[in-house]
Amino acid sequence: MTITTPRSLKERLFESEELFRETGVYESDLSMKETDPVTFEVLFTRLLQTLTNAREVALSISASPSTREQGEIIFGLFTAEGDAVCLSTGLMIHVHTMSRAIKWMINNDYETRMGFHEGDYFFNNDSFIGGGHPSDQMLMTPFFANGELEGWIGGLTHVTETGAVEPGAMGSSFTSRFAEGLILPCMRIAANDELFYDFDVLVDRGVRSSISWLADNRAKLTGNLIIRDKVKELLGEVGLDVYRKVCREYIEDTRRATHEKVRRSLFPGRYREVAWRGVTIKNLERLMHSPCELVVSREGRLSLSFEGLPSAQRQPFQSTLPLFEGMLFNGLIQNIFYDLRYNDGTFLAIDLHVPYGSACNPDNIQLPTTLWGPAYGGMQACSQAVSRAYFAKGYREEVHASGPLTSGNLAGGKDQYGRHFGSQCFEFASSGMYATSFMDGLDTAFSDFNAEGDMGDAEIWEQQMPQVWLAREIRKDGGGFGKFRGGNGIHSLYMIPEGIEMEIGAFGSPPIFSTAGLMGGYPAAALRVWIGTGTNVQAQIEAGNPLPNTEGFDLPIPQFVQDVKADWYCVLGQNVPTASLEPFSLFSVVSGDGGGYGDPLLRAPADIVRDVENGLSGTRVAADVYGVVVNIGSDGAVTYDQDATETLRARHRRERLERGVPAAQYKLRERERLVKGDIPEPARAMYRDVMQISPIWAAEFRSFWDLPEEFEVSK
Amino acid sequence: MIQANQTSDEAKRDRVRELIEGVLSLDQLADLQRETKTGDRAEIVLAIEQARVSWDDRILVPLQENLYVVERGDGARVVKCYCGQEFGDYRRNWKEQALVYERHPQDGVVFQPNKGADPVWQSLREFYCPNCATQLDVEPVPVGYPFVFNFLPDLGE
Repeated sequence: MTITTPRSLKERLFESEELFRETGVYESDLSMKETDPVTFEVLFTRLLQTLTNAREVALSISASPSTREQGEIIFGLFTAEGDAVCLSTGLMIHVHTMSRAIKWMINNDYETRMGFHEGDYFFNNDSFIGGGHPSDQMLMTPFFANGELEGWIGGLTHVTETGAVEPGAMGSSFTSRFAEGLILPCMRIAANDELFYDFDVLVDRGVRSSISWLADNRAKLTGNLIIRDKVKELLGEVGLDVYRKVCREYIEDTRRATHEKVRRSLFPGRYREVAWRGVTIKNLERLMHSPCELVVSREGRLSLSFEGLPSAQRQPFQSTLPLFEGMLFNGLIQNIFYDLRYNDGTFLAIDLHVPYGSACNPDNIQLPTTLWGPAYGGMQACSQAVSRAYFAKGYREEVHASGPLTSGNLAGGKDQYGRHFGSQCFEFASSGMYATSFMDGLDTAFSDFNAEGDMGDAEIWEQQMPQVWLAREIRKDGGGFGKFRGGNGIHSLYMIPEGIEMEIGAFGSPPIFSTAGLMGGYPAAALRVWIGTGTNVQAQIEAGNPLPNTEGFDLPIPQFVQDVKADWYCVLGQNVPTASLEPFSLFSVVSGDGGGYGDPLLRAPADIVRDVENGLSGTRVAADVYGVVVNIGSDGAVTYDQDATETLRARHRRERLERGVPAAQYKLRERERLVKGDIPEPARAMYRDVMQISPIWAAEFRSFWDLPEEFEVSK
Repeated sequence: MIQANQTSDEAKRDRVRELIEGVLSLDQLADLQRETKTGDRAEIVLAIEQARVSWDDRILVPLQENLYVVERGDGARVVKCYCGQEFGDYRRNWKEQALVYERHPQDGVVFQPNKGADPVWQSLREFYCPNCATQLDVEPVPVGYPFVFNFLPDLGE
């Protein structure tokens, strides 16, 4: 008589991964799909419907504007080994991060040390395990059939307060992971479907304002419960063997479909793009590039390499590997695999190289990974590379420039009711969309990180963050100029009201262009913050005078700065650590804008007339950037002069030929600067770092500039 | 039946032509985006592009807006602009044969001071066709950053 002992999850996970490594396939056949394709599809649709329905219910339970108004939430169904089978709509970045966390628990012996039981819920916001930063909080629960753990369900929301050094969780000043607030790595916080009271106490005392965190936990628990009941119902109908088999086939089917989609959609070749980020913390200032190399094979294989990334350091503009994987797959799903099943099959089909020790794969878990930096840039660069591959294959309806950088404002203190608050304002989920090869980017309607993102009502945000909105308008000339322009983001002007305590700040980028244009289009405008203290706003209110409400257009100094007497200062890039501001201070932030596409001189004059009519651009930009002579009549009618436009465009082209120098000559001049060490510090710090950690990138750099092997960028 | 197919193919070609010319209606565009990608679009686009240019070299692949990899009569495969300007062997970065202009990022012409990068951090590197002056690329980069070689197509044998 042979006695068989059930295999542990750790053994099952090891065997599953070994099988894939050896065979290159997740499931050897698709017999279920082939023998009964209708049932195969119906079952998947039921799972998808269950997850999406659970998400909608959970949205209504959450008290957080971030979750409720913007939909920063996703649910997933996973195999016992932690592979994603099916996901709801929502925060697609986390297609893979919850999978990472489940596998981490399995590999770290939670099964034997903690035990897994139906009704257990494990909470994680440790981004080195899974998630993006401590704001990304997942709740995972196992479910059982015939006494055996059969799968996992997980829900994830983006929570706007974590008890970090700066309120709102995403401060730009963090130099250590311990500045990021409460980080809880895969903790059991519920049993028998009941949340532990002491966990609520921990959160309540550990963060400035616990309502989002605690309400989101209840939303996720409810969603998980709904999904568990429905999945077990389905499992009871079809039987265990069929359930297991279809789950594996859904993943394998996606893996195969991923290759096929690449083969049919993208031109084979090597693509390179670069995106930019950087650090603005004093004495740590440096640029960071995110160099993306995408290789598309003739067989439909897609390989991504980020060789040359800067090293991870004590600064917040970097990410963990799970987050970077999530960002890339978020971008790839939106750009290529949007019509496939969303699961780990896509992840298995792609080769990814992210150097260990780099800013997107740190070798030290005590480093902060708050604001992602080159990981977000990597997704932008990857999307541009994919656009080129579509272009070459003829699918121009899929071609676009870079999407906007995510930015936002943070605030904390005590509100008008005496309640402590802390939050980040994610109205910036409505940024400017990228320009495409066929139309302008939409204004205030897009974010890469959540395709369903919305700005939320200002009145709802004011309940969570008591700053008062004096303006919320479409930013003027923010989108990158081009044949098709990038979409404009939002400009918001906040006033600090009386009767509250408030520290306020923002996060964004260093003072750079962080959203590139494509094929001759300009990048989106740089972000910036304007802060005015000691203002005369109170006097203006008492006198009943109009309050400032616009930045105007095409002004070196915004209109509201000109209109309000104050001590004003501007921070380009928008990284401003939180600080207390007195009542009636003003704080102006902008969201990201989309990159432009194509030569601006090829833009249809009628499109420029439309922008001027809509107050989104002015006659100076029309002439200087687009070469279009726009006239505004006494009745306000906007027209353009065709003959004058042709003359002006011809003049612009002549001037290009006059000021442009042959590339060879330009390279000689630049080389001379390098040899002399004439490199500003932010770039110098990056070159020194990257050339040290990546001999491959260093060799390419020296080869391009025809520099000797021993060349180093001097200190 | 054959006639119906021909009509359908012509309609397809017209739609793609309108897409390339930027005049396709949004409804038709949405239809196009929803269609399954069958891998045969390249042939349609190549035919349309070949008809648009004024020269005879065979287009092998559209490299980007205004640029193509073509096969010349002598068998050489080179990058060529819509205007006819050649940029050399396709295996080398075409930017090496372009005109380059480094724009101050806050010059007040393209970007105002509170909308452009700090020049210590980045400038704008513009690439123009030496013949028709079309702006072919803009790189926001720091001093000393190598030209980005955006696309090396795999043309097979």
